[in-house]
Amino acid sequence: MIDFLTNYFFTFIIFVLPIIYVVQPFFMEKFGAIVSFESTGVLKRKKIILYRQIKELEMEYDIGNLERKDFSNRRAELKREVSLIINKLKKK
Amino acid sequence: MNPLAGAVALNLAFGCSILSIIALIAYNRTSDFRLFLVGQRLGLAISFFVFISTFVLGHQLMISNFDIDYVARYTSFETPTVYKISALWAGQSGSLLFWLFILSIFNTITIIQNQSKHHNLMPWVIITLSTIQLFFLVLTNFITNPFEPTQADFEIVNGNGLNPLLQNITMAIHPPTLYLGYVGFSVPFAFAFAALVNKDIGALWIQSIRRWTLVAWLFLSVGIILGGWWAYQELGWGGYWAWDPVENASFMPWLTATAFLHSIIVQEKKDMLRVWNMVLIILTFSLCIFGTFLTRSGVMSSVHSFTESSLGPVFLSFVFIILVSSFGLMYSRIGVLRSPRRIESVSSRESGFLFNNLIFVVMCFAVFWGTLFPVITEAVNGNKISVGPPFFNQINIPIGLALLALTGIGPLLAWRGTSNKRLIQNFAFPTILGLLSSMFFIFLKMSVYVVISFSLCIFVVAAILSEFVKGAKVRKRKFNESLFKAIYKMIEKNRSRYGGYIVHLGIVLMFVGFTGHAFDKEKEFGIKVGDTKSVANYDFTLIKMYEEERPNHYAWITDIRVTDMFGNFVTQLRPEKRVYFHKNPDINKRQPHSELDIYSTLNKDIYSIFSSVSSDNLTAFVKIMVNPLVKWVWIGGYILAFGTVIALWPRKE
Repeated sequence: MIDFLTNYFFTFIIFVLPIIYVVQPFFMEKFGAIVSFESTGVLKRKKIILYRQIKELEMEYDIGNLERKDFSNRRAELKREVSLIINKLKKK
Repeated sequence: MNPLAGAVALNLAFGCSILSIIALIAYNRTSDFRLFLVGQRLGLAISFFVFISTFVLGHQLMISNFDIDYVARYTSFETPTVYKISALWAGQSGSLLFWLFILSIFNTITIIQNQSKHHNLMPWVIITLSTIQLFFLVLTNFITNPFEPTQADFEIVNGNGLNPLLQNITMAIHPPTLYLGYVGFSVPFAFAFAALVNKDIGALWIQSIRRWTLVAWLFLSVGIILGGWWAYQELGWGGYWAWDPVENASFMPWLTATAFLHSIIVQEKKDMLRVWNMVLIILTFSLCIFGTFLTRSGVMSSVHSFTESSLGPVFLSFVFIILVSSFGLMYSRIGVLRSPRRIESVSSRESGFLFNNLIFVVMCFAVFWGTLFPVITEAVNGNKISVGPPFFNQINIPIGLALLALTGIGPLLAWRGTSNKRLIQNFAFPTILGLLSSMFFIFLKMSVYVVISFSLCIFVVAAILSEFVKGAKVRKRKFNESLFKAIYKMIEKNRSRYGGYIVHLGIVLMFVGFTGHAFDKEKEFGIKVGDTKSVANYDFTLIKMYEEERPNHYAWITDIRVTDMFGNFVTQLRPEKRVYFHKNPDINKRQPHSELDIYSTLNKDIYSIFSSVSSDNLTAFVKIMVNPLVKWVWIGGYILAFGTVIALWPRKE
C-alpha cells in the first residue's frame, strides 16, 4: 500500500506538476507582449554597450592603435548615440 | 526508478517540443503573451523530461539492469563505477540522449537567463532550440531508443562490458566536453536565426551570444585537446592528431567558430561583416551536426568511432534543412544585413580580421574536402580511396603557418588604417626578433618549415608582449601605478582583449609542440630480460617481465630501466600488454590492449609500447619513441583555456 502511494506521489510530482505549470498561464487574464518594458531594457543594454565601446576606443587610442582624427570622430559619434539613448530613456 | 519512467519521459518531451513550437508560432501571430509563457514553459518542460529520462538511464547503468539492451551492451558487473557513468555516451542511443541532455541544460539556462529580456528574439530562439530538441527526440523515441528491452529468450547473466579503449579517465571526460562544445553552438545559432527572422541584425544579438560562443568554443577546444591527449595516451601510435574523419569532424566547426569569434569583434566595433558573421555561425552549427553525423553514421571508419548505424540519411537531411532554411532566410534579409561601411585600407585591423577569417574558412574547406573525398569517390565510381595525413599536412601546414603569422600581425595593425610611421614603429621589434631567430635556426640546419614555424612563434610572442607592454605603460603613465598593478588592472579592465592575447600565446606554444614532431625518433625491437637497446641517445634495459590478474583484465608487465648516454638513470617505464574479458570462454571475445607508459618532460617524451610477448614468454616486443616538445601542446592547451576563462569572466558594469 505504502509502495503504491509512494509510486503515485512520485508520478504526480514528476509528470503532473510540470503539466500544471505549463498550462497555468491559460488561467491568467489575456495580455499583450510587454513592449515598453522590453524597449527600456534594450535601451539600457545599448547604453552600457556604447559606454564600453567609448572606454575601449580610448584604450585603443592611448595604445596607439588609432589615429587622432579617427579617434575624435568615432568618439563624437558614440557620444551622440549615447545622448540620444539617454534622452529616450528620460522620456519613458 | 522504473525504466518505463525514462521511456515515458522521452515521449512527453517529444510532445512538449511540438506543442512549444506551435504555442510560440501562435504567439507570433496573435501577440497573446499567455501563449509566449506557455511556449516558454513547454521549453522548460522538454528539458525537465529529458533530465528525468537521462537520470533513469544513468540509474539503470549503475544498477546493471541487463533487461535493457543498452545496459547489457555497454556495461558488465565488473565495469568500474566511473565507466558505468561514461557508458551513458559510449553507445549510439545513449550518446544521442546525452546530446539532448546537454542541449536541455543550455535551453533551460537560455530561457531562465532571458526571462525579462530579448522579448522580441526569445520566441524564435525557443522555437529554434525546441526544433533542434525535436530532431533528437525523434531519433531517441522512434529510431534508436535507449530504453529498448533486451531481445533475448534467455536470462542475461552479465553484460558485454565497455570497450577497453574507452576505459580511460580522459575518455570519460573527452566526449562530454566535446558535446558541450558542439551543443553549445545551438544557442548562438538560435539567436542568429531569431535575429534574422526579426530583422534585428544590429550589435545587440552579437552581444547576447558573445559569451555563449566563447563558452562553446572553450569546450570544443578543450574537447579536441583532450581527444588528442587520449589518442596519445591510449592508441599507441605515438601521435595525438592523425587527420582521422572524427577528429576532422570536431576541427571543422572549431575553425569556423574561431573565425566567427574574431569577426564579431569587427561587427561590435565597426558594424561591418554582418553577412559574414551570419554565414559563419550557420556554418559552425551545421558543421557541429555534420560532425555528429560523421561520428555516429559509420559512413567513415575511424579510431574514434565506436558505433555504426543507419542514422546517416536522417542527420544529412537535418543538416540540409538547417542550411536551406538559414541561408534562405538570410537571402531574404540581405537588404538589412548589408553593412553601410566598407574596409578602407589593407593595413587596417579590419582587413587583418578578414584575412584571418578567409584563411580559417579555406582551411575548413580543405579539411572538409579531404575528409569527404573518399566517400564521394566511392559513391561516384565505386573505388575506395584513402586521403591520409600527407594530404592534410601538405595543405594545412602552410595555411596554419599563415594563420600563425596573422596572430602576430593583427594586433599590431590599427583600426581603419595604419600609417607608415606607425607600421614601422609597431613591427620593428617583433620582426627583428623573428628574423634574428630564423638566422639562428638556419645556422642549426633545421628544415624550412621548422625554421619558419619557430621564427613565427618568436615573432608572435614578441608582438603579444609588446602589446602588453604598450598597454601597461599607458596605464602606468595615466594612473601612476606600479608595473604589476598596471598589468593586472589592464587585464581586468579589458578582459576580452587581453584574454584573447593569452589564448594566442597558448596557440603559439601549441605550434612549438606541433613543430617538435619534425624531430621524432622511433625504434621497434624484441628484448629479453637483462638485454639493453639504444634509441636516440637513451639506453633501454629490460629489468623484468611479470604477469598479474586484475578484476577486469589480465596483464603482462615489463619493467624497463632508461639511462642517458652517460649512464645516468632517467626513469623506469612499465608498459603493459592486457587482455580484457580474459575469462570469457569464447577466445574471440577477449580483447587485447596495449597500455603505454610515457615519461614526459618539457623538452621530450619517452613513449613506450609493449606490443606483444613471444610464445615462450621470454621476449617482449617493444616500441620506443622519443617525441620532442610534445608537452608544449598540452601546456598551450592549458594557457588557451586560461585565456578564454579570462575573456569570459563577467565584468562589473
